[in-house]
Amino acid sequence: MTQSALIIDRNPALARTLETSPPGGALPELSGLDDEPVKEPWLPAALLMRWGVRACVFIAMCLIMLPGLWVMLNAFRTNVAILARDSIFAATSYTLDNFRDVFGMGDTAGIPVKAYFVNSLVISVTSTVIAIAIGLAGGYAFARYKFRFKKTLFVGLMLSRAVPGIALSLPVFIIWSWLGLIDTKVGTIIVYVAMNVPFSVWLIDGFFRQIPKELAEAAEIDGCTRWQAFWQVEFPMAKSGIASAAIFAFLTAWNEFALASQLTRSTDTKTLPVGLMDFTAQFTINWAGMCALAVIIIIPALILTFIVQKHLIAGLTFGGVKG
Amino acid sequence: MKLLRKLPPEARLLLPAFVVILLVVAVPLLFSLYTSFTSYRLVRPETIWNVVWFKNYLKLFGNSDFWWAFGRTVLFLTVVLNLEMLFGLALALLVNQVTRGQRMLRTIMMFPMMFSPVLVGFQFKFMFNDNIGIVNHILQNWFGVTEAIPWLVESHLAFFSLACAEIWNSTAVFAILLLAGLMAMPQDPLEAARVDGCTPLQAFRHVTLPFLMPFVYIAMTIRSLDVGRAFDIVKIMTNGGPAGRTELIWTLSARAGYEDARMGYANAMSYVAVLLSIAFTVHFFRKLNASRQFLNEVDA
Amino acid sequence: MKNQPFVASLTLLSTLAATLVMPTAWAGPYDGYTLRVKLIGGEQYEPLYSVIPEWEKKTGAKVQIVSSKSHFELDRELKQDIASGKIDYCLFSNHTNFAAQYVTITRDLKPLVPADFVSKFSPRVIQQSTIKGKLLEIPRHSDISELYYNKKAYDDPANKAAYKAKFGKDLAPPQTWDDVAQQAKFFAKPPNFYGTQFAGKDEAITGRFYEMLVANGGQLFDKNFKPTFNSPAGVKSLNWFVDLYKSGAVPKGAPNYVWDDLGNGFASGTVALDLDWGGWASFFNDPKSSKVAGNVGIIRAPKGSSGKRTGWSGSHSFSITQSCDNPKAAADFLMFITGFDAQMLEARRGLMPTRLDAQQAALAEFKAKNETYLTDVFNTFAAGMREDSFTPPLIPEWVEVSNSIWPELQKAIVGDKTSKQALDDAAKKVEALMDDAGYYK
Repeated sequence: MTQSALIIDRNPALARTLETSPPGGALPELSGLDDEPVKEPWLPAALLMRWGVRACVFIAMCLIMLPGLWVMLNAFRTNVAILARDSIFAATSYTLDNFRDVFGMGDTAGIPVKAYFVNSLVISVTSTVIAIAIGLAGGYAFARYKFRFKKTLFVGLMLSRAVPGIALSLPVFIIWSWLGLIDTKVGTIIVYVAMNVPFSVWLIDGFFRQIPKELAEAAEIDGCTRWQAFWQVEFPMAKSGIASAAIFAFLTAWNEFALASQLTRSTDTKTLPVGLMDFTAQFTINWAGMCALAVIIIIPALILTFIVQKHLIAGLTFGGVKG
Repeated sequence: MKLLRKLPPEARLLLPAFVVILLVVAVPLLFSLYTSFTSYRLVRPETIWNVVWFKNYLKLFGNSDFWWAFGRTVLFLTVVLNLEMLFGLALALLVNQVTRGQRMLRTIMMFPMMFSPVLVGFQFKFMFNDNIGIVNHILQNWFGVTEAIPWLVESHLAFFSLACAEIWNSTAVFAILLLAGLMAMPQDPLEAARVDGCTPLQAFRHVTLPFLMPFVYIAMTIRSLDVGRAFDIVKIMTNGGPAGRTELIWTLSARAGYEDARMGYANAMSYVAVLLSIAFTVHFFRKLNASRQFLNEVDA
Repeated sequence: MKNQPFVASLTLLSTLAATLVMPTAWAGPYDGYTLRVKLIGGEQYEPLYSVIPEWEKKTGAKVQIVSSKSHFELDRELKQDIASGKIDYCLFSNHTNFAAQYVTITRDLKPLVPADFVSKFSPRVIQQSTIKGKLLEIPRHSDISELYYNKKAYDDPANKAAYKAKFGKDLAPPQTWDDVAQQAKFFAKPPNFYGTQFAGKDEAITGRFYEMLVANGGQLFDKNFKPTFNSPAGVKSLNWFVDLYKSGAVPKGAPNYVWDDLGNGFASGTVALDLDWGGWASFFNDPKSSKVAGNVGIIRAPKGSSGKRTGWSGSHSFSITQSCDNPKAAADFLMFITGFDAQMLEARRGLMPTRLDAQQAALAEFKAKNETYLTDVFNTFAAGMREDSFTPPLIPEWVEVSNSIWPELQKAIVGDKTSKQALDDAAKKVEALMDDAGYYK
């Protein structure tokens, strides 16, 4: 029996959902009224609606894609073509120079993209892993234990995330400089862990609530320790919840700018979004270069999202909703 | 270590979370609370001991620029969050209708989430530039507009442009959460509604929407938690200008703190921003709990 | 170990090499020392840093760049460092117009840098680097704005005829700011072409207003630091901006423009006149980056009503920290990167050297190579620096003063207030600020 089936067993609403959905799909691919056109008395109307939906989806996706695609396109165009608003269909306006420049293969010095990339990766991955570990512990505690001030503590934890980064930046900076954490990866990682713990706790807490206590208890009766029962029974079931918390945490860390720009200074610690500012000088902004770096930032995040988005949806579905 | 062992297991499990929050959020906030009662100037470290009590706050509350910025921030947050919710809902409903290629659509839908807000700021600043920007270019070439529309200058348009950037960047969060909600939705009630002769609109209004409400509030809570990220966007696109027309508390306090180096005053302002964020979050949290309760009752 | 012979021979070889190299390495006076520096980053500034290895070789020291950021970020970073009290570096990139803010961490260079080295520099710039008798920085290159114009617009016969018919004068690059306004309005055909443009926010508009004020015979402060910019000269200066904006001779987005928007605007070929920095000269004339390449003209900044030219300027510079553990090494490095050879490196890229000998040598080089455009540019900017340049008041409050002024200037430009009212309001804010800072006690 798969984990999701286990959950479904205990969750009548979801079981109902899955029954009505077509078999084979890992996810309930739900659909609206146009799913069964045969039963519909007015076929043309259903057809019209289906095409209407498709048209709307197309327009919406265009609106979403265009501003982003514009950036990606500019990464492959010359600055002068962008500024002079040359037609995007003019083949001459395309070039790989921006990437050459970014990697220091052109005539300019280039920026240490590789170092930034590694920094970003190390900082984002480490902080995500730690945040999830802490979130797992915290979420489990909120879901499984009863204690005093539970609600207050929970809300307090959430509110800590509501403090805008800009309000934190200076005090964190000063305290970090006392602790010698400025311009270290560790310093940035700690901040990102704190940023991501509340949301992770929330999602994971919601997830564990969906998993019936009795399952772990049964395992304990069968001779498992509590620790074993957790890892063998409860943890695997919470996987998609953890995955969705992780992708949110990763994206937050990967794209964060306000705090990283204060806490990182040298090539050894600067992350990719901070590196974007390398393209701005007092008088100039190298927009094409910036776009090239943007592509380098976006592509990994996009691939990752594409891979885990199934878990993301499942994780968000089960976690968090029921109080 | 011994002390740690004595703690009950739930406390041990919660300890790391609270330690890290204490270190990164609570202690710095206490520090900035203290400095908001001093005449602390960044370039004169010794002024941190110069306690002036409520002088910064009094100055702040007597400053009409601040109140304008405050009102504008509330308005901006309200407008942006609600629009994102509406667009996110529409997007989720649309994507949910599509059965084939949904994985691709979902990835596209989340595409803007990959853009760091600081990049979004530069991007939309360029797009909305009145002279060399792509938006005016398209309007002039394809739609016969004959003037250069000053997107980032005229006060309503500037507000609109900022909102566009922020909405583009963050609607995906709503869409993905609401889509998750739609997918978890039981089909029976919808089926029943159809049999009873409800129109699709009525079915949506009375069946789908109530089920989605907790998801809406979750999304609202999550977004209000990190809406402060919008600071990066506003800072780069207009930095509060022109003529203070898009000044938000964040831009005002960042300028006072770093450029003018008046940290005490800036932190007093930050505190108001923190309280505002917390108020928004608590508001949605309450709503969330209420709708959860409603759902649980229905379920039972 | 398998490859022991190899390791052994390697050790031998390196010992040998070390004995051979050692004499030169020993000659370095700062052997083994690591000099920590914070340098301004960005395309315009980084080519200079390619000389650093040379100094390292010469002295045996190592240079560690602990931070390399744009001017505004570096400013914030320095302020944070002052706040946290952790200054663990020796040298940092400074700027004449901001140096007063960092006085507490900056060393007086007079005991460290010989007088005959300083005497090589433009006296005016050295004077701008001195606050209360302390030489706080050695300038690296100077920034001043002169007037670029689009030759296509001026050489166009139709334009010439129309201008003559309308004003009874020949169309020629403007000598006064009133001319600029007249020609800008004449050229403007929004949204496709604009007469001129200006930066409309941040310190940029304060600076532009300030230089116009000076050219019109006004001043920001009287000698007791009471604001006087709301004088008739001030109103006249601000009206110049308001009038051009209202008439549509500048892009409607100008109040949100800063330097990059201006440079890109002029390079896109849609602007006739552009008062801008010397750093843009090569960018404007490079077909890879600019549509006006080959058609760029340059003249001295026009005159205001007092007969003075505008000349808001400042110099990028280097300073040494109070807490520096080896000021001698730092000073040696400082003199190396502001030396003749280093300045020539920047001059060849179109930046204005602060050393007079480098200015002359660079000019001779351009002439010898028959680069008329660069010669013109260089002559114009050098003349501007020599005769017209002035800095804002060198007080730590300058940024704050500017932040009090520019939002009010914007209000007048976009029409929310009259010029007089905006300047009065700005003056009130500035007076309160200066009072707070203890100037009137």
